[in-house]
Amino acid sequence: MSRRDRWLGHRMVFPLILLLLIVQGYPMAFAAYISLHDYRLTALNEVRWVGLAQYAGLLENPSYWTAMRNTLIFVFGAVGLELSLGFLLAYLLWRPVPAQNAFRAILLTPMFVTPIAVGLMFRFLLNNQLGIIPVWLRALGVEIDWFGPDLALFSLILIDVWQWTPLMVLLLLAGLEALPAEPFEAARVDGASEFQILRHLTIPLLRPVILAAVLIRMLDAFRVFEYVYAITRGGPGERTETILFYIYRVGFLYFRLGEAAAMAFTLAVVIFVLVVFLFRILRRQEALT
Amino acid sequence: MFRRVVLLLITLGMLGFWLSACRPAAPSPVTLTIIMEQVPDTDVIRKLLPDFEKENPGIRVVIDAMPYDAMRDKILASFMAPKATYDVIIVDNPWMDEFVAGNFLEPLDDRIKGIPDYDFEDFVKPLQDIGVVGGKIYGVPFYNYAVGLIVRQDLFDDPAYRDAYEKKYGKPLTPPTTLDDYVRIAQFFKEQSGGKIYGAAMQPQRGYKIFEEWKNWLYAAGGNLLDEQGNVIIDRPEAVRALELYIEMYKTAAPPNSLNWGFDEALRSMAAGEAATMMSYNWMLPTLNNPQGPAGALAGKFALYEVPGGKAVLGAWHWAIPRNAPNKDASWRFISWITSKRIEKQRVILGGAPVRASVMKDPEVWQKGFGQSYYETVLRILEDAEPLARGPKAEEIIQVVGTELNAAVAGEKTAEQALKDAAAQVRRILGQ
Repeated sequence: MSRRDRWLGHRMVFPLILLLLIVQGYPMAFAAYISLHDYRLTALNEVRWVGLAQYAGLLENPSYWTAMRNTLIFVFGAVGLELSLGFLLAYLLWRPVPAQNAFRAILLTPMFVTPIAVGLMFRFLLNNQLGIIPVWLRALGVEIDWFGPDLALFSLILIDVWQWTPLMVLLLLAGLEALPAEPFEAARVDGASEFQILRHLTIPLLRPVILAAVLIRMLDAFRVFEYVYAITRGGPGERTETILFYIYRVGFLYFRLGEAAAMAFTLAVVIFVLVVFLFRILRRQEALT
Repeated sequence: MFRRVVLLLITLGMLGFWLSACRPAAPSPVTLTIIMEQVPDTDVIRKLLPDFEKENPGIRVVIDAMPYDAMRDKILASFMAPKATYDVIIVDNPWMDEFVAGNFLEPLDDRIKGIPDYDFEDFVKPLQDIGVVGGKIYGVPFYNYAVGLIVRQDLFDDPAYRDAYEKKYGKPLTPPTTLDDYVRIAQFFKEQSGGKIYGAAMQPQRGYKIFEEWKNWLYAAGGNLLDEQGNVIIDRPEAVRALELYIEMYKTAAPPNSLNWGFDEALRSMAAGEAATMMSYNWMLPTLNNPQGPAGALAGKFALYEVPGGKAVLGAWHWAIPRNAPNKDASWRFISWITSKRIEKQRVILGGAPVRASVMKDPEVWQKGFGQSYYETVLRILEDAEPLARGPKAEEIIQVVGTELNAAVAGEKTAEQALKDAAAQVRRILGQ
């Protein structure tokens, strides 16, 4: 490529870079700025430099740690369940099934509902006074307090699983259908059992897709907010306080935007570390195959 | 060069034309935008608006009603804007000091003095006090949501219950005036009805709700959040006792699995005839007693009393004018009209929650409204009532304490530990 071409290339990318700087760079820089300042919306004339004090404050803030722990439990619980269930469903659908397009379409519907609506829907479905699910369970003689202290977080995980397993199915099914047919035929000729094929062929071949799917879902699950907002508001106690909900409370209910920004950055770090970790697994896998 | 000069001239000409078109127009009707919550009291205001617009030609009022959760952000965004979106706002009591500290609200003293027959002293004292910060008036009471004890009077009057209670405890069955009585009566109803009627529909939902309910218990036990000097005293023994009794009540007399219950759930439970008592806003009584209301056939069987101990948690909304509002005179015209004695009377007759003492003593209001005893009880409740928390950090204090209380009821902590943690956090928030 000549120097002239390269210069042209730079110039053509420039508008995009400018756009990115405006819509992403500026808010990020501003968030970094206020995370180092005592920046409260109700006291904008008292903004002052506090350095890393707000980050240090998080270390000894038990609510922050509870929220972080709840979020991690939620992410790993939800994504783990979605992966196992999603794989199972994708595996079942990965063969000629009668009316398979109809099946697939129905399976995908939960994904199209906006999460806040899903949250409200389950809030009423599981409500002890009004919900149909407790009524059915009571008919069976089972009394479950879905949003009590022991089950609340788990219930939220189940709601997430209901809504997002379809995405997992979609991604994994696409991956499965893209697999080459030859290795499978060879394995069958060699007399491998279905389980052996699954364990030694399907899953290893599908690994990059699985990791990508997990990554997408995980990034999304970290941002869980709607279900918490619509159903539990972080309660009982702090059992379902997730990090994003906590950031929302500090930032938009107490108006301490500086502290909220600091929390958001720590969340970004946690997510970043996890993503790097997953990508390294992915790379290593690619190197092997 | 010539082309550039021509271009510049054309641009300047267009700019000049545009600027001349922007000159202030002739005085046109003022439109006041008011942010309000989607609640019945807002509907009452809507019904009064045509009268206001008839009496004040040249002022049009637009109400922007929304759910509670959306209000705080919107009001703040309006404060931050160079010109306010809202000409008149309503302020929930925990926000008042915070908004004044942020220098967002217009003082109203001079405007109030400017209306000779306004009679600001007629607002019940604790309601007045919420709007006064640092000796200046920033808010005028709109409606109250003080807590009272709502009971199923038919159950308390039922001879079967009365006899059983008298036999068991040796005293007559009457609505409770102490915490111990309250817990015992609630347990009694649950046992006596064979678990069909719970003693109390409680609201232990995390955050505002549980604190709003429990603080009545705290008052009854002789405690408070802060003492006169502003020291945090929520970890004192009387508070522990109040919380232990509250938890006992929840475990032995409230509907099962109601840990997340708030206002709606408790109301439904009460309206469905599942519960004998509930602590709730005093104006829930007319709603429950309305034959077209949620209680259906049970309407008319509910009665309002003061909470046990007599001192109640006070909630109230106040009218206020943002400092950056463009038409403050018109804003005040509306506020002073809607809170005047004359219109307050109409508002209360239409079902609004009263804030002026004179209205609650007015026989015409009794007759056209919900009866003498109701208004007299409301007045008694309001005269001895105190908000959940004050000061610029009230909202956060309420959330923090409400989280700890809920954790204690959920069994995650002992009452003592939860209150110790709550006190520590409140001290940190207040910088003590």
